[in-house]
Amino acid sequence: MKNFNWSKYSKPIILVAFVIILSVLKPAEFLSVSNFISILTSVAAIGIMVSGTIFVFLIGGIDLSIATLLSMSAVVAATIITKMGGSVIAVVIGLLAALAVGALAGLLHGYITTTFAIPAFLVTFATQSIFLGLAQVLSNNNKIACTWPAFAILGQAIVPIIFMVVFALVSWYVLRKTVFGRYVYAVGGNPTASEISGINVKLVSIMCYVISGFTTAMGGIILAAQSQQADSALGAGFTNDVITAAVIGGISLLGGEGTLPGAIFGAVLMGLLNNGLSLMNVDSTQSGLVKGLVIVVAVAFDAMHHADQSRKKAKKVKKGAAAPELS
Amino acid sequence: MKRMNQTTMRRLISIGMLLILVALFAGLAGTGEGKFFNETNLIEIVRNASIPAIIGVGITYVIITAGIDLSTGSMLALVGMVMANIYVYTLLPIPVMILAGLLVGLACGLVNGFIVAKLNVPEFIGTLATMLIFRGLTYIIAVKNDIGAIESVRMNHSQYAFLGSDFWYYGLYYVIVAMVVIVAIGQIVLKYTRFGTNLYSVGASKKAATLSGIDVMKTRLIAYAITGVTVAIGAIFMTAKLQSTTANLGTDFEFDPIAAAVVGGVALSGGSGDVIGTLIGALFMATLDNGVKMLDMNASYQYIVKGAIIIAVVIFDALYKKRIDRRAKEEGAKEGLE
Repeated sequence: MKNFNWSKYSKPIILVAFVIILSVLKPAEFLSVSNFISILTSVAAIGIMVSGTIFVFLIGGIDLSIATLLSMSAVVAATIITKMGGSVIAVVIGLLAALAVGALAGLLHGYITTTFAIPAFLVTFATQSIFLGLAQVLSNNNKIACTWPAFAILGQAIVPIIFMVVFALVSWYVLRKTVFGRYVYAVGGNPTASEISGINVKLVSIMCYVISGFTTAMGGIILAAQSQQADSALGAGFTNDVITAAVIGGISLLGGEGTLPGAIFGAVLMGLLNNGLSLMNVDSTQSGLVKGLVIVVAVAFDAMHHADQSRKKAKKVKKGAAAPELS
Repeated sequence: MKRMNQTTMRRLISIGMLLILVALFAGLAGTGEGKFFNETNLIEIVRNASIPAIIGVGITYVIITAGIDLSTGSMLALVGMVMANIYVYTLLPIPVMILAGLLVGLACGLVNGFIVAKLNVPEFIGTLATMLIFRGLTYIIAVKNDIGAIESVRMNHSQYAFLGSDFWYYGLYYVIVAMVVIVAIGQIVLKYTRFGTNLYSVGASKKAATLSGIDVMKTRLIAYAITGVTVAIGAIFMTAKLQSTTANLGTDFEFDPIAAAVVGGVALSGGSGDVIGTLIGALFMATLDNGVKMLDMNASYQYIVKGAIIIAVVIFDALYKKRIDRRAKEEGAKEGLE
C-alpha cells in the first residue's frame, strides 16, 4: 500500500467513486443515457474553455475575467447576428467578431501582465469589471434572443461535444507535440531559467493569454447557442467552474504542472458534480460551497507537494547527488 | 529620507486625483442645492465611502503583507445572515447579536488566514475559494419564508437601526464616526507598533522577515483575522442602514476596498502604503460612484470606469516604481564613482 501511486490513479478512482455514489443514491435519474448526454453537453462549454485557459494556468497565471469575457463575446456575436438578419454569413461574421474580441481581450491581459509585471489576477480582476460593463452597455441590459437556425445548430444535440473534442485535441497536440507547448511548460516551471535558455518568455506568455481569450469566447458562443440567447449574465459562475475543473484535473495553479487530459477529466467531473448536486436537490447557489472546498483542498495539497519536493531537492543537492530527475 | 519623499509624492498624487475628480464633477454635474457640489451630497459621499474605508483598514494590512482578500463581499453577506438568524429566530438581546456578527467575521478571517498562511495556498486562489464557500454558507443558512423561498429579512429594531442614522449634529452619521475612529486606530497600529512594522517587513520579504525573527505565519494570519473583523463592522453598519439583509448582500463588493487601496497607493507587491492612503482611495471611489449617478449616466459605465481606473493606477505605479528604482541605481553608481 505504501508504494501505491496515488497521483497516477487518483483521477479514475475519484471518477468511479463519484459515479458509484450517484448511481446508488439516485439510480433512476442518474443512470440513463439521456442524463449522460446531458452531462456531456453541459460540460462542453467548460471543456472548450479549459482547453485554452490551461495555457494560462500552466504559465502560473490566472484569469478571473472568464465569466464576463464569455458574456461579452456572446453578446457581441448575438448582436451582430441579429442585426444582420441571421443568415449563414451573418453567423460566420458574428462568430469571427466574437472570437476576435476574445483574442484581443487575451492580448490585453498578456500585454499588461508581461510589460508592466503586474500580477495576472489583478489585471483580470479589473478587466472582469470592464467586460461586465461593456456587455451590459452592448446588450442594453436585455436578453438578446438568438434563435436563428444557423446559430442555434451550434448548441444542438452533440455539436457542442464535437467542438469540445476538436478543441481538446488541438490543445493536446500543441501542448504535447510542439515546441511552443514545451516552452509553455518551461516558462511555468521556471521563468528565469527559460529566459536564460533563450525562450522569449514575454511572447510565450502573451500567446497563452490570447489562446485563453479565444477559447473563452468560443465557450461563450456555445453557451449562447445552447440557450439561444445572450446577455451580460450568461457567464455568471463560469470563472469558478473553469478554475475548479482545472484544479480537479490536477493542474497546478502555481504553474508548470498539469496535462490536457487532466483538465478535460476535471471538466467532466465538474459536470458530474453539478449534475449530482442538482439531482440531490442542492440549490445551485449552495453548490459554490462544495466547489470552494474542492479548490482549497486541491491547492493546499498541491502547495504541500511542492514544499515537499523542494525540500527533497535541497537534500539531494546537499548530498551532492546527481542532477534532479526529469519527469 | 528618499523613501519618505517617495511615499509623500504618492500621497500627493492620490490627493490630487481626488481633488481633480471632485472639481470635474462639480463642473459637469453642477454646484448648489440638489447637484453634486453641496454640503448634503458631499456628506453623502463620505458616508458611502465609510464602509469601504473601514474594511479597507483590514485590506490594507493584508495587501501590505503582499496578500489579497477576494472574499470580503461574501463575508459581508455571511455576517449579515448570521445576525438575521439570531434576530428572527431567537430572543437574544441586540448587543449579543452584534457580538455574534463580530465573532463570525473574526472566524471567517481566521479561516482565510489559515488557508493562506498555514496551508500556503496562493492568496487570490484561497480567498476566491472562500468567497464561494462563504456565499454558499450564506444561502444555506438564509432565512426562508413559509414556502421555502429566500427573502430579504427586515432588521428594523430601534436598538439596531439607529446605527444607520446620524446623531447630535446634522450629517454626523455613526458610520462616519466609526470610520474615523477605526482608520485612526488602524493607522496608529500600523505606524507605531511592533505588529505594524512586522506587516511591512513580511510584505517586503518573507525570507528576510523570517531570518530577522518575525513569525511570518502569525503576522499574516492576524492580518486576515483583522480583515474579518473590519468586514463584520462594515456588515453591521450596512445592514443597519438598509434595515434589512439578503443572501446576495455585498455581491461584487470585494472590488471596492481593493480598488480603494490600489488608488490610495498601497502597492499590491507588498511592503508599502498605509491606511490613510486607502481612506483617500475610498473617498475617490465613492466620489466616482456618486458623480456618475449625478450625471445620469448608465450604471454600467461605472463598471467600465472602475476597472479602467484600477488598471491605469496599477500601470502608473509600476512605471513610477521602475523610474524610482532606476534613479536610485544611477545615484548609487554615481556615489560609487565619487
